[in-house]
Amino acid sequence: MNPASTTKKLRLLLIEDNTGDARLLREHLGDAAGTRFDLDVVGTLAAGLARLETESFDLVLLDMSLPDSAGLDTFKNVHNHSPEVPIIVMSGLDDEAVAVQTVHEGAQDYLVKADLDHRLLVRSIRYAIERKHTEEALARERDLFHTLMDNIPDRIYFKDADSRFFRINRAVAAQFQLGHPSEAVGRTDSDFFTAEHAENALADERWVIQQGKPLLGKIERETLPDGEVTWALTSKLPLKDKQGRIVGVFGVSRDITALKKAEAELQAERNLLRSLIDNLPDYIFIKDTACRYLLDNIAHRRLVGAGTPQEVEGKTAGDLFPPVVAEQLTRDDLAVMSTGHALLNKEELVTDGCGNRRWHVTTKVPLRDQEGHIVGLVGIGRDITERKNSEEQLQRTNIDLAQHRSELQHALDDLRLAHEQLKTAQDQLIQAEKMQSIGRLAAGVAHEVKNPLSVLRMGVDYFQRNLPATDPNVAPVLTDMSTAIDRANSIIMGLLDFSVPYALDSQNENLSAIVRQSLNLVRYAFNESETPIRLVAELNDDVPPIWADRNKMMQVFVNLLTNAIHAMPAGGALTVRTYARTLQPEEVNRDPGSRLARQFRAGDTVAVADVMDSGSGIPEEMLSRVFDPFFTTKPTGKGTGLGLAVTRKIVELHHGTIEVRNRKEGGVIVTTMFKV
Amino acid sequence: MENTQEKRRILIIDDEAGFTRMVKLNLEKAGPYEVREENRALHAVAAAREFKPDLILLDVIMPAMDGGDVAAKIKNDPHLRGTPIVFLTATVTVREAGKAGLNAGGDLFLAKPISVDALIEVIHKHARPPEPPAEKAGPA
Repeated sequence: MNPASTTKKLRLLLIEDNTGDARLLREHLGDAAGTRFDLDVVGTLAAGLARLETESFDLVLLDMSLPDSAGLDTFKNVHNHSPEVPIIVMSGLDDEAVAVQTVHEGAQDYLVKADLDHRLLVRSIRYAIERKHTEEALARERDLFHTLMDNIPDRIYFKDADSRFFRINRAVAAQFQLGHPSEAVGRTDSDFFTAEHAENALADERWVIQQGKPLLGKIERETLPDGEVTWALTSKLPLKDKQGRIVGVFGVSRDITALKKAEAELQAERNLLRSLIDNLPDYIFIKDTACRYLLDNIAHRRLVGAGTPQEVEGKTAGDLFPPVVAEQLTRDDLAVMSTGHALLNKEELVTDGCGNRRWHVTTKVPLRDQEGHIVGLVGIGRDITERKNSEEQLQRTNIDLAQHRSELQHALDDLRLAHEQLKTAQDQLIQAEKMQSIGRLAAGVAHEVKNPLSVLRMGVDYFQRNLPATDPNVAPVLTDMSTAIDRANSIIMGLLDFSVPYALDSQNENLSAIVRQSLNLVRYAFNESETPIRLVAELNDDVPPIWADRNKMMQVFVNLLTNAIHAMPAGGALTVRTYARTLQPEEVNRDPGSRLARQFRAGDTVAVADVMDSGSGIPEEMLSRVFDPFFTTKPTGKGTGLGLAVTRKIVELHHGTIEVRNRKEGGVIVTTMFKV
Repeated sequence: MENTQEKRRILIIDDEAGFTRMVKLNLEKAGPYEVREENRALHAVAAAREFKPDLILLDVIMPAMDGGDVAAKIKNDPHLRGTPIVFLTATVTVREAGKAGLNAGGDLFLAKPISVDALIEVIHKHARPPEPPAEKAGPA
C-alpha cells in the first residue's frame, strides 16, 4: 500500500467548471475519515494543464465537459500532458459511454456524478492512486526488461519444454537474421543451426529440464548454416512457473568469437614465439630475480645437457655450470638486475654440459613487469667458438705469414748472397782458369826461354872471364847484357812462382815475429834509399798465433815492405803495425760478396798487419787492378808486376784477406788479416 | 894442356847443344876439367860408361827420355854407381823436382840459367877426386 495514503495529505486537482458539482465533491471528501485531502479546483482545461505544469498532484479529477474542451479529447489532453498522474474521469449520465472509453485509454476509473458518495469517491481515489503506482512500477520493470532484451549484446532466449523459442531478444534475432524477435516464436535451434549443434543444444536443454539444474558457463562452438563458426559462452537454466514446475528453459549466451579469436591469435602468437625461441640456434633463457631459470629454449637445454624444460626450470647457473663459470654468470645476472642496464655482447669462455670449453657471446637485458619493476632478466647467447677459432687461426696465419715473409726475405737475401758468391766464385774460377792457362804457358815459356838464357848466361860469362878488354866499352856492354839476362830470368821466375800451385808448410807462428824478420830482410833497401825513410814499427807480440807457412808469409811482407819503400822515392815514413781485433757484424755484412765476408764471420778474432807508406798513393781507378798479374805502377825494370798477385795468392792460401787503400793523409795502407 | 890425369872428367847431358858447348868452353877454359857433351839422352848411359866421368851434369827435361830415367839407369849401373849427378833444370823448382821423385838420392839441383862461378863451385864441391892412373887403366 502506498504509505502516502495514511501519513500524508493527498493533493487532488479537480478540473470542473460546475461550481455546484465542485462544492458537492468537496463535501464528500470532507467526510472522509483517516485520509486528508487537499483539493484544488480549476474551471478550465487550460487552467488545469497550467497547474499540472507547475505543481505536483497525486490525482486529477476530471470533468469531461469543460468550457474549453469536451469529451474524450479532454481526457487525452490531460493524460498526454501528465501521463504519470492518475486520472479519474467524472461523467454525467449522458456521457458514461465516453467515460468507459477513457478507462481504455488510461484513466484509472470513472465516476458518475449522480451516483457519487463519500465512500465510493475515497475508495476510487485510493485505488486509482494505488493502481497507478503499480502500473508505473510494472511499466518500469517491463521497460527495464525490454531495454535489457533489446539492447544487451548477450543473446537471451526462452524456450518451452519442447525447446521451442517463445521469446528471444534482439541479439538472438540478429544472430538468426530475423527482422523481429517474434519471428522466432515456435521455432527450434535446428531451424537456425547445423543439425549437430542443434542436437547438442537440445541434449543440454533436456538435461537442464530433467535435472532442474542450471548449466553454467559452457563454451560452445556454433556453426551457422552459412558455415560461419562462432563461439559462445552459454548458461542455460530451468524455467519454472509460479508453482515451481519446470516448463521450459532459458539461457543467456555471449558471443565470445572475438575473444576466442583473440585467444587463438594470442595462442598462435605464443606458439610462433615459442617455436621461434625453440628453433633459434641461439641460447635463450629467462631468469627470475633469484637467478633461477624460468624458461629456456632447446638450444640452451642442449648446451646445459638437459632434455626437458623441467630439468632446467628453477635451477640456477650453479646447478648447470662449473663453479667458476657459474660465479661469473651469476655476477653478471645480478649486475644486470641491480643496475637495470643491459649487458651487451659479452664474450665469455664457458664449459658446456659435456665439458667442452666454448666461447659464447651473451646479451642480458632486464625483464620488467607492467609497473616497470625488474622481475628477472632475458638472456640470449650464441656460440662463437668457431668464429673465435678462425679469428685466432687468422691471427696465427697472419703471424705465420709474416714469419714466412721474413723467412722468404731471408731466403731471398741468402739467395742474393749465394748469387753474389757464385758470381765471385765464377769470377775466381775464370781467374783461376786464366791463371792456370798462364801457369801452363809460363811453364812452357820458362823452359823454352831459360835454355837460351842459359846459353846467353854462359856466353856472357865466358866473355867476361876470358875476353881481353881492348875496347873500354866491352866490359859495360857485357855487364848490361848480364843484367838483362838476370832480369829476363827473374820475370820467368816470377811467372813460375805465380803459376805453380803451392802447398803450405804451416805451423803456429807469431805474426809480429814474421813481420820483424821480413823487416830484417829489407833492411838493405832502407840503406839503398838515397832519401831517408823513417820506420815506425808498432808490433804487438801478444797477437794470438796464426797457422802459417813462415817462409811464404815472409815473402808476403818482404813484397809489401819493398813496395812501400819503392812508393816513397822522396823519403817518408814506413809504418808497420800488428794487432788483434774482433770483427763486427756490420763490417762483415756490409758487402756480402766481399773477400772479408767469404773468409770471416762476425765475432771472429783476427790477427791484422798494416803496412803504410806516406807516398803519393795509387790513383783510385787503378786500385782495383793492383792485384792483377803484370800490373805495376813501378817504372819498367823496377818490378815484374807479379809481386802483389803472388802476395795475394799466398794470403789467400792462408785463408786471409788483403786490402789496398789510399790513406786520407796520403800514401797507401795495405791491410792483411788472418784468422787466429 | 896440363896433366890429363889430374883433370876432372865432367859429362854434360843436355839436348841443348849450344848450352853444352858453352859449359864445355867455360869449364875447360876455367880449370882442369875435361868436359864431354852428350845431347841425346838415349846415349847418355853409354857415353858415361865410356867416359867414366867424375861428375855428371844432367838436364831434367829432354826429348825421348827425361833426366830422372837417365839418372836411374846410371845409378843402377855397377860401373857408374856412385857417380855424382847434378841436375840442371829450366822449369821445375826444387819442390817440383821432389814431386817427380828426383831427389831420392839426395841429388843436387841447379836452376838454369846458371853462372860459370856457381857451376864451378858446385863441381868443385861434389866431383869425385881423380882416380889413380893404375886403377883407371885397369879393366872395367
